[in-house]
Amino acid sequence: MPDRDPLAGEFALGLLEGEDRAAALRRVLAEPDFAADVEWWRTQFAALFDLWPEHDAPPHLVARIEASLDAVRRAEATGTVSAIPVRRSPWPWLAAASSAVAACLLVFIAVEPRESPPVSQPIPAARPSSVLVAMLGDAKSPVAAVFDPATGALRVAAGPGVPDARVAQLWVIGGDGVPHALGLLAAQPTVLAPAGVDRRRIVAGATLAISVEPLGGSPTGLPTGPVVATGVVARV
Amino acid sequence: MTLSKPQADAARAHLSAVLIRTGQEDRDAFRELYALTQAKLFGITLRICGNAQAAEDVLHDVYLTIWKRAGAWEPGRASPITWLATIARNRAIDWQRAQTLRRAAPLEDAPEIADPTPTAETLLLADESTRRLHGCLDGLDAQHRDVIRTAFFDGVTYAELAIRRAVPLGTMKSWVRRGLARLKDCLGA
Repeated sequence: MPDRDPLAGEFALGLLEGEDRAAALRRVLAEPDFAADVEWWRTQFAALFDLWPEHDAPPHLVARIEASLDAVRRAEATGTVSAIPVRRSPWPWLAAASSAVAACLLVFIAVEPRESPPVSQPIPAARPSSVLVAMLGDAKSPVAAVFDPATGALRVAAGPGVPDARVAQLWVIGGDGVPHALGLLAAQPTVLAPAGVDRRRIVAGATLAISVEPLGGSPTGLPTGPVVATGVVARV
Repeated sequence: MTLSKPQADAARAHLSAVLIRTGQEDRDAFRELYALTQAKLFGITLRICGNAQAAEDVLHDVYLTIWKRAGAWEPGRASPITWLATIARNRAIDWQRAQTLRRAAPLEDAPEIADPTPTAETLLLADESTRRLHGCLDGLDAQHRDVIRTAFFDGVTYAELAIRRAVPLGTMKSWVRRGLARLKDCLGA
């Protein structure tokens, strides 16, 4: 491999914040070579995990995790997520992290291309039942996505045109900065029903992205093809 | 307790099998995975988050993520513990970035990395890539090595690192970039 970008190492270490981090995140999505560099650095540094001192977690934590898994399973069975009794929800800070990243992305996206529509700052407040929307791509051929947290249904307008033997795949990028696959898009409008953890990643401020992948979707669990559209989730 | 090389290999193979079964939504396997890995992963979230309650909340989320994503783990690409530890580290860093108050001082109740350099015994048991990384880190200027290690173990940003070492931000970036460039050459990227 020729010259590895120092930015990839800085991003893998977690040194970046704000706009620099958002810029690196965009490159991970858009440039497979850059994503491979980040992966390479992560693999190298992983050797240091051997030196990390262990520390027993509090004994009650395992029961708390099991209760959450049970709740997720029940919620998926009944098609609702509102009943999850997490004792002290870990999600508010996740949402906050997503919003911070997204706010940076927002700035970045707003200053970069053509005339983007004015986008208001995502409101971090409650109102968990209101609908979320994202417009992916440019003003000429946007792909609209609408998510209803109450039902868990994610409606996506007709996906972008893709070459033969390729498929458009939808991703969500939240606070962890890692794309998570939500499903495959078709030439006609699609309704996706992301399950469990992925569903809760779709919050105001998270980023949705569409990449072009081999049939059946990315074989690696991360985008492998070009990212053709991105958009930030906002509350309506 | 130090494992011999065959024991370490067997432990890794066992953890791989448990992770694969977890990916098949086997709750018993998940419980065993938790028992085998919680101390390592809590060590990670505790150090980066810097307080026990936040570390517990993050670890809770980490194991839900593991349950959801275990099926996506590819045995050929990363060792099971590396994959799990990376999730824990990234989640803890996300949490830390979401905090509004920036910590300038080292963490109060996080355990110190007692000895950030590996013992001869650790290296003897380590695989080739681990030995190579340690060898290359040893070849860096002490200052560059120190800040790269701190960035990894404490999950801090450039700005925090600069405050901790009391140097300008630009100096800190230059240290890290020079260190990374040397490291990259040494690792033969």
